Amino acid sequence: MSKYQIDIPKNVMSKIEAEQIRMRPKWYFLLGTLAIFIALIGLVILSIFLISLITFSLRSHGPMGIVRYQQLISSFPWWAPIIVVIGLTMGIALLKKYDFSYKKNFLFIILVFIAAVLLAGVLVDILGFDMFWIKRGPMRRFYQQYDGNKQEWNNIIKNNGKGKRNFQ
Amino acid sequence: MKDLKKLKDEQIVELVRTKDKELYIEIVLRYQTKLLRYALYLIQDKTKAADAIQESFIKAFINLNSFDLKMKFSSWIYRIVHNQVMNIFNKNKKELPLLDTVDFDSGKNLELDLLNKETHEKVNKCVDQMPIMYSEPLLLYYFEEKSYEEISDILRLPVGTVGTRINRAKVIMKKICQSTK
Repeated sequence: MSKYQIDIPKNVMSKIEAEQIRMRPKWYFLLGTLAIFIALIGLVILSIFLISLITFSLRSHGPMGIVRYQQLISSFPWWAPIIVVIGLTMGIALLKKYDFSYKKNFLFIILVFIAAVLLAGVLVDILGFDMFWIKRGPMRRFYQQYDGNKQEWNNIIKNNGKGKRNFQ
Repeated sequence: MKDLKKLKDEQIVELVRTKDKELYIEIVLRYQTKLLRYALYLIQDKTKAADAIQESFIKAFINLNSFDLKMKFSSWIYRIVHNQVMNIFNKNKKELPLLDTVDFDSGKNLELDLLNKETHEKVNKCVDQMPIMYSEPLLLYYFEEKSYEEISDILRLPVGTVGTRINRAKVIMKKICQSTK
C-alpha cells in the first residue's frame, strides 16, 4: 500500500483489468521505425542525386545557365522531398512520443546524415557516377533531359553565331 | 508467486507482454517506492509526485512493447518518470533557476556527507534550491544509486556530461548548504 493518498498498484491494476488501458501492439512501434527508415533512405537517394546533379551542372556550366537551371527545377521530382519530410516528421514524432527508451539524439543523427549525404553527392560526381546515370538507372531520363537540353542550347548558340538554326 | 520474486525485471516484462498482463503488479510493487522518492525529490509535492508515478506506470504499460529486452528496465522506467516530471514542470511553467553566480571548485568532502543518511533531510532542502539540470543527476547517483551509464540513459546525456554535472552539482550544493546553515 502506498504511503500517500493514492494507491498506485490498485489504481493501475484496476485500469488494466478493466481494459481501460491496453498495450500498444508491436507493429505500432515498428511503423514508427519503418517510417523513419524509409524517409531516411529516400533522403539519402534524393540528396545524393541532388548534390551530384548540382556539381554536375556546375562542372558542365556553359551559356544559358539560368534557363537550364529553370528547366532543371521545372522537371525536378518535388514529390520526393515531400515524402521525405512527411516520413521523417511522422517517424520522429511517433518515436519521440512513445519510444522513451534510449538515447537518440535526432538532431545529431539528421545532421550527420546530411553531412554524409553531401559528401556522397560530391563523390558521386567526382567519381563519374552521374555519367553512368545518364545512360542507365532510375534517374536516366532526368539526366538525359538535362544533358539533351544543354546540347540543344549549345547548338542554338553555335548556329546563331553562324546565322543558322539547326535543331537535331 | 515465489518464483516471480526471483525473476529479473526484464523477464517479468516478457511474461507481462506474452502471458499474463496482471503480473505487471510485480513491476509496480518493485518500483513504486523508488520512483516516488525520485519524483518527490524533484517535484517536492507528495500528491503531484504520486500522480506522476501512477501516470508513468500507465504509460509504461501502454508502451511496454517498445521496451527492448536487451536493455535495463530500470533505466527505461526512470526515463518515463523523468519525462512525466518534465511535463509537470512545463505545465506549471515552473522556473528552473540557473545559479550563474556560483563558482565551481572541488567538492570532494561533500561526497561523504551525501552518503550519510542522517543528512538526507538537510540535503533534500539544499537540493530543492539547485537547478534541476544539476540536482537530477546528483539525486540519481547518490540517492537512487544509479551508475553514470544508467544516468546517461535516463537523462539522454553523454556519460561525460553526467560526470561534469554531478561534480558541479556537488560544488553548488556545498555552497547552498553552507549558506543556509
